[in-house]
Amino acid sequence: MQAFDCAIIGAGPAGMAAAIALAKGGANVAVLDRGARVGGQIYRAAAASPLPDASVLGPDYTAGAALIAEFNRAEITRFTGADAWHLGDDGRVLFSHLGDTHELHCREMLLCPGAMERPMPIPGWTLPGVMTVGAAQVMLKSDATVADGAVFAGSGPLLYLIVAQYLRLGVPVAALVDTTPRQNYLNAVPLLPGALRQAGQLKKGLALLREIRAAGIPQYRFAEGLEILGEDKAEGLRFTANGQPYEIASETVFLHHGVQPNLNMTRAMDLAHRWNPQQLCWQVEADAWGQTSVPHVSAAGDGAGIIGAEGARIAGDLAALNILHRLGHLSEGERDRQTAPGSARLAAMAPFRAFLDRLYRPAGAFRLPQNPETLVCRCEEQSLANLRAGFNQGARDPNALKSLTRCGMGPCQGRQCGHMVTGLLAEWQAEPPEAVGYYRLRSPQRLLTLEELSRFQAVPAPAQAEAAE
Amino acid sequence: MFRSLRSDSAPKITLTINGQAVTAAAGQSVWSAMVLCGQPVTRRAALSGQDRSAYCAMGVCFECMVVIDGFPNQQACLRQVAEGMTVATQTITEDRGAPDAGL
Repeated sequence: MQAFDCAIIGAGPAGMAAAIALAKGGANVAVLDRGARVGGQIYRAAAASPLPDASVLGPDYTAGAALIAEFNRAEITRFTGADAWHLGDDGRVLFSHLGDTHELHCREMLLCPGAMERPMPIPGWTLPGVMTVGAAQVMLKSDATVADGAVFAGSGPLLYLIVAQYLRLGVPVAALVDTTPRQNYLNAVPLLPGALRQAGQLKKGLALLREIRAAGIPQYRFAEGLEILGEDKAEGLRFTANGQPYEIASETVFLHHGVQPNLNMTRAMDLAHRWNPQQLCWQVEADAWGQTSVPHVSAAGDGAGIIGAEGARIAGDLAALNILHRLGHLSEGERDRQTAPGSARLAAMAPFRAFLDRLYRPAGAFRLPQNPETLVCRCEEQSLANLRAGFNQGARDPNALKSLTRCGMGPCQGRQCGHMVTGLLAEWQAEPPEAVGYYRLRSPQRLLTLEELSRFQAVPAPAQAEAAE
Repeated sequence: MFRSLRSDSAPKITLTINGQAVTAAAGQSVWSAMVLCGQPVTRRAALSGQDRSAYCAMGVCFECMVVIDGFPNQQACLRQVAEGMTVATQTITEDRGAPDAGL
């Protein structure tokens, strides 16, 4: 079967930018995205918003429309609604598309799995009505669906952004409950001079906070001890702020305390990973161009370490230029010359990111469950107490704990509990996360039916018209 | 309470959610059609049978698995509505019809 020069998994900012650069450079590219439309999470439906006026979502969102248009014009083999469930280091990709199983082969692979919300395991977080702020974003962007009178709780720019977007749309907000610890503000001060080099970003953030204050919704700061009220579904949020107890009634609670790389692809390929102590998450080891421990597999964007949409776009471009070099389309010198401006831009963005990471560093009490009854594994319903019992029985690493308790064995394959399990085992053994490790993941990365497997199609790369100029 | 701000003229689609006839815009996710008609419960938890509903709405939590046209384990947030589609809350639990029960 004719192999593609490069297969890109994920069509967010990183994947789209990379695909455009690769196609321009003469490579034969296939792009797979699980979504019904390209754009990833950040640019969801940016080219076809169901909202009366998408400009309320802000210029960072509407900017995505231009990138999507450029991607759509480029000469690329593309599949949307395509869920890749096996990525082999032999270049074999298996994916589900419209109920069929497809196979393609590639010489180079670029993984752009993006970010996911950092789970927030407070008591009651599994009740219907409790969702992430990312969920609120998705529903707003893709389906113009909003929740009246919701409580927004947590910390970080995305939390403030969705509240501001709701307010601009005239959607009533019950309260903003901010969990950013007081100490974080002090800790972040030394990084402020560096962040000021990107004064525009800082101003944008401050304007967002002012906009929310001006709207006059109830706001609570330095909140602790969050707990969802309700037995069968969410009925509100209980917390303390400045020593005072509060209860706010609402059937919808949106939680957020940062995002983390969506690890399943890079982990299932058994690529080398490292713990990022600033962002408190795992990320795949990659060089300046995104090349991982398997040379023909690269990773770019938030899925390789959180850098934001603009950074992801640049990282995608850099990875593509390096892949073009590896494919023989660009000399080493030409690659270095063309990647220099992007690398410089990424380096210039790093101090602001470091400031954000420090300021909005999630408190330990929200990253790891505190209540023995709180579920860590939502799929297999394993509580903190169950995991502790497994640990006491001798399970010392995530795989042993999984075998003993079934934690991480459900349909999400550890996407929700993985970081928590690493964190808990590290805490219990007083060891660094690297010593604890992560789940060993295997294909398939999604639920499959035998019927689907039986409907098999190969996707050959289109014959190259003029392979060499 | 969820509501739609939709103003586009996307064609309307009729589907059935737990026996209720529902109208939704073409292109809309099954999950959003469910909450907009007041049916947010997507599945029952496998062990306790507790009600569950979408947590992430972007395909990573697998809480929104429903039965679509008879096929279980379909992520409602990743599927779009289709004319005549039948959606049901997924009730696959440990004690229900387990073939090895009593062994």
